[in-house]
Amino acid sequence: MDRLLRNRKAIAIFIAPAFILFTLILFIPIIQVVYYSFCDYNALSKPTFIGLKNYITLFSNDDTMKIALKNSIFFMIFSAITQQFMGIFLAVILTNVKKGRNFFKNIYYLPCVLSSAALGLLWAFLFNPKMGINQILAMIGIKGPMWLSASSGFIPLPMWVIAFVALWQYVGQNMMLYMAQIMGVSSELYEASYIDGASKIQALRYITLPLIKPMFVTSLSLNCIGSLKFFDLVYNMTQGGPNHRTEVLATDLYQQGFKYFKYGYSSAISIVLLILCLIVTILISKCIKIESYEI
Amino acid sequence: MKNIKRRKKLPSPALILIYIFLAVLVVIYLFPLLWMLNVSLKTNKEVFSSPFALPKVIQLGNYIIAWTTGKLGTATLNSVIVCGVTLIISMIMGAMAAFAIARMKWKFSKATMTYFLIGMMVPVHCVLIPLFVRFSKLHLIDSLPGLMIPYITFSLPITIYLLVGFFQSMPKELIEASCIDGCSIYRCFLQIALPMAKTGMFVAGLMTFVGNWNELLLAMVFISNPAKKTLPVTLTYFVGPYSTNYVQMFAAIIIAIAPTVLVYCLFSNQIVEGLTVGAVKG
Repeated sequence: MDRLLRNRKAIAIFIAPAFILFTLILFIPIIQVVYYSFCDYNALSKPTFIGLKNYITLFSNDDTMKIALKNSIFFMIFSAITQQFMGIFLAVILTNVKKGRNFFKNIYYLPCVLSSAALGLLWAFLFNPKMGINQILAMIGIKGPMWLSASSGFIPLPMWVIAFVALWQYVGQNMMLYMAQIMGVSSELYEASYIDGASKIQALRYITLPLIKPMFVTSLSLNCIGSLKFFDLVYNMTQGGPNHRTEVLATDLYQQGFKYFKYGYSSAISIVLLILCLIVTILISKCIKIESYEI
Repeated sequence: MKNIKRRKKLPSPALILIYIFLAVLVVIYLFPLLWMLNVSLKTNKEVFSSPFALPKVIQLGNYIIAWTTGKLGTATLNSVIVCGVTLIISMIMGAMAAFAIARMKWKFSKATMTYFLIGMMVPVHCVLIPLFVRFSKLHLIDSLPGLMIPYITFSLPITIYLLVGFFQSMPKELIEASCIDGCSIYRCFLQIALPMAKTGMFVAGLMTFVGNWNELLLAMVFISNPAKKTLPVTLTYFVGPYSTNYVQMFAAIIIAIAPTVLVYCLFSNQIVEGLTVGAVKG
């Protein structure tokens, strides 16, 4: 029996396909991208080593990159705050509501399974200067702003619009995660607290919130990494415009790599993105302490 | 917050407030989608002149034009092929690796697991350039297999992670019993472990299928031949110079998301639960 489970040949056969594919398509390319980021490399030339030059240009001379970095970080912070808050809020409300819970839950979750490329186009129409929401505003006599082409301000209006659309699309994901966690809390815990005279608010504060903390780490990490690599909505709503004001890291990377074919430079941007993802993941897991409870 | 507190004594007004809030949200979620459906059945002129009225004559022609100019038939077929093949291969590979990690006894099983898990943290964006360069040399650009290979790879970490959990939670005795009966390890995997991990396979398959079906960036970079484009890429065709033709664009979007919405409506409970189980474990 043990011999059967230690069968080396079988282990190799089981692991090999996934392992080889993973190494060839993910692991080796990551090493390559690190090397390319130190190279002068475009579609026509072979990579030549130039040291840190790409990174120096990236952080000192590239205004688009500055905007992209700023927008990506804004987007991550905004999404983290709004989606976590709304996610917990909706989860708490829905777990307390009996009738129609599934109906509401399924509706709020629907955009998560739809293509954000399609939804991006839809919202681009709704925020068109002459159509969509501005037509509604015009009916009550308000002249709507240029939602997607305003370019003033530290964080221009289009960025806020995109952030709100992302909130609309992805809040269901966080809501579902928290709902699953809250439903897992045994109801005896609540009953006991009500017998002891706790109000609903107190139960929320002292039972629900501490117990969903582990989910907070998962949900927040998914949320932050997801918003750092955000591409579809931005690309289909503004394509980085007007005048690169709504560029994020992923769109900048795409443009540098596949519009201007600056492979080396684009690789440097992907390294920045990768490092940001790692920092955020580590920060979240280190900074939020999870106490374990006996449930 | 006050509402919740008051609810215990006066259940109805607070509950009504909550339901009003939930209903408003439902409107916010469904209104854009219904508006899109409405616009897709109008003429361009109507969209400007009477934005909220129902279409005077239902313009099914929009759908026909969108279907032909956008080559949506080919795109749908491509998407089905790419996502179907990806699903099957990644499930087979993932289940095999997960079984070896979870159930078989060897020194590096933990290390191998960690190795696969790194893949969950790495954004696809980071390997775009090396993959593009290598795939152009291998003539895999502009071909469906060229899209399937990275999709399979990026589906593996989540599949393996989920299935390892499912295999580990199976009772040990089952596998032992089958071994004593003289079952080979391969038969044990195929006939005992796999059928028991059905839920896990469903969850993992659902997550990767939805993800790949909607994937845009890789598909956009790797495919430029219109005959090979997948659905999300085809939609970007309507951005830019074509974007003034809203009725057709929306008809195209409706065609593109209709299958997803339909499947979601039929199986929403299973899908929502499945995806959540996946994310909770991930």
